[in-house]
Amino acid sequence: MPLRVLDVLLAGMGEIKVAHGEGVLGCIGLGSCVGVVLYDAATGKGALAHVMLPEPPLGESDEMPGKYATTAVPALLKELGTPAHALSRLKAMLIGGAELFQNRQHALQIGTRNVEQLHRLLEAHRIPIIFEDTGGHHGRSFELDLATGQLTLRVVGQAPVVHNLAMAMMILAKAS
Amino acid sequence: MLTELSAFRQDALREIGNIGLGGAVTALSDLTGICFTLEVPEVMELTTTQLHLICPSEECLSVGTVARIEGDWSGEAAFLFPWHSAEVLWQALIGAAPAELSDLNELHESVIREVANIMLGSFLNAISQMTGFELHMEPPAFAADMAAALMSSLMVEALYGQRELLAIETRFCMPEQQFEGFFFFLPDTGNLYRLFDALGI
Repeated sequence: MPLRVLDVLLAGMGEIKVAHGEGVLGCIGLGSCVGVVLYDAATGKGALAHVMLPEPPLGESDEMPGKYATTAVPALLKELGTPAHALSRLKAMLIGGAELFQNRQHALQIGTRNVEQLHRLLEAHRIPIIFEDTGGHHGRSFELDLATGQLTLRVVGQAPVVHNLAMAMMILAKAS
Repeated sequence: MLTELSAFRQDALREIGNIGLGGAVTALSDLTGICFTLEVPEVMELTTTQLHLICPSEECLSVGTVARIEGDWSGEAAFLFPWHSAEVLWQALIGAAPAELSDLNELHESVIREVANIMLGSFLNAISQMTGFELHMEPPAFAADMAAALMSSLMVEALYGQRELLAIETRFCMPEQQFEGFFFFLPDTGNLYRLFDALGI
C-alpha cells in the first residue's frame, strides 16, 4: 500500500485543506492534534482542519483559523458553503487527540480536550460524526479518498487499516 | 521570536546549550561506555520542518522523553531518539533491544527515562552553576511513536503554555553506530529574559 499518493492534500498543523469530488485529504503524524473532516455529499466537497488546541488563548488573532477547534469548525463550514439550514446533511470524521506522553505529573490532556471541544461544536450544529478514532496513547496518520469514501488509518508498528465510509457518507445525503 | 533576539543573545544561548549539553553527553558517555560527539547547538524556532533532522520520514518510529523543569527558571526539556538510536542505548545498557514496538516493555522504557534523567540532570547542573539558579525537574515522561506525532505534541503543549517556541536544539551522535539524539529546550514565557538577566547580558 503506498504511504503517500501524489495528490493527497495534506493539512499540516493548523492548516485547512479543501477538496472537491475527486480529492484525497489527509494528515500525517497526529498526536494530540485532531484531524476533523466535514463532508457535504450534496456538493461532493470535503474540508479538513488539522486542529491543535481547543480554543485560542486570549488576545490571539485568527490568522490560522484551523489551529483552534472553535475557529476551525466555522472556517470549515465557510469553505463548504453549505446553507445554514442544511448543516445536518454534513458528515464529520474525527481522527487523533491522543496523549502520547504518559505518566506526566502535569498532564495537560490537550488531546482529550480537543476531541471534547469538537464534539460540542459539531453537536451544536447537529452535524453527525460518522467516523471517529480518537484518544488513546498512539499517534495516527490518515487519508480520506472523497471519491471512494475509503479512509486509510495508519498507526506506527501496525498494518494500515482501511475503513469503507462510502455508505455512511452517502446514505444521509439521500435522506436530505 | 527568533528575530527579536540579538545575534549576541543567540550566541549566548548557543553557548549555554553547548556547556549544558556537553555535561549531558559526558554523562551519557560515562553511563554507556560509548563516546558520543556533540554538534554545536542551534537556537531556532521550533517547527515540524525540523523533523527531517530527526529521521527521513515523518512517520518513522522514534522514542521521546519530556520533562518539566521548575525553579528559578522553568520550561520543558525533551530528548528525541530515532528508534535505531534507542536500540544502541538498550544494547549498551541492558544488552538487548526490543525487536519491534510491540516488544517494548517497562524495562526498555525505564532505560530511556533514566538516560534522559541523567542527561537532564547534568544539563540543569551546568545551568545552575552558570546562573546560581535553583532548578529541579519532574521524572521524564516517555513515548514511542511516529516522529511527527511526538514533535507536534511537544509543539502544541508549548503553544498552549504560551511558551517560547524557541528551542535550543542539538544533535549528539556516534558516527560509526549511526546514533543520533536530539535535544530541545522550550523555556516558559519570560524565562529567557530571566536567564539573560542572571548572566548579565
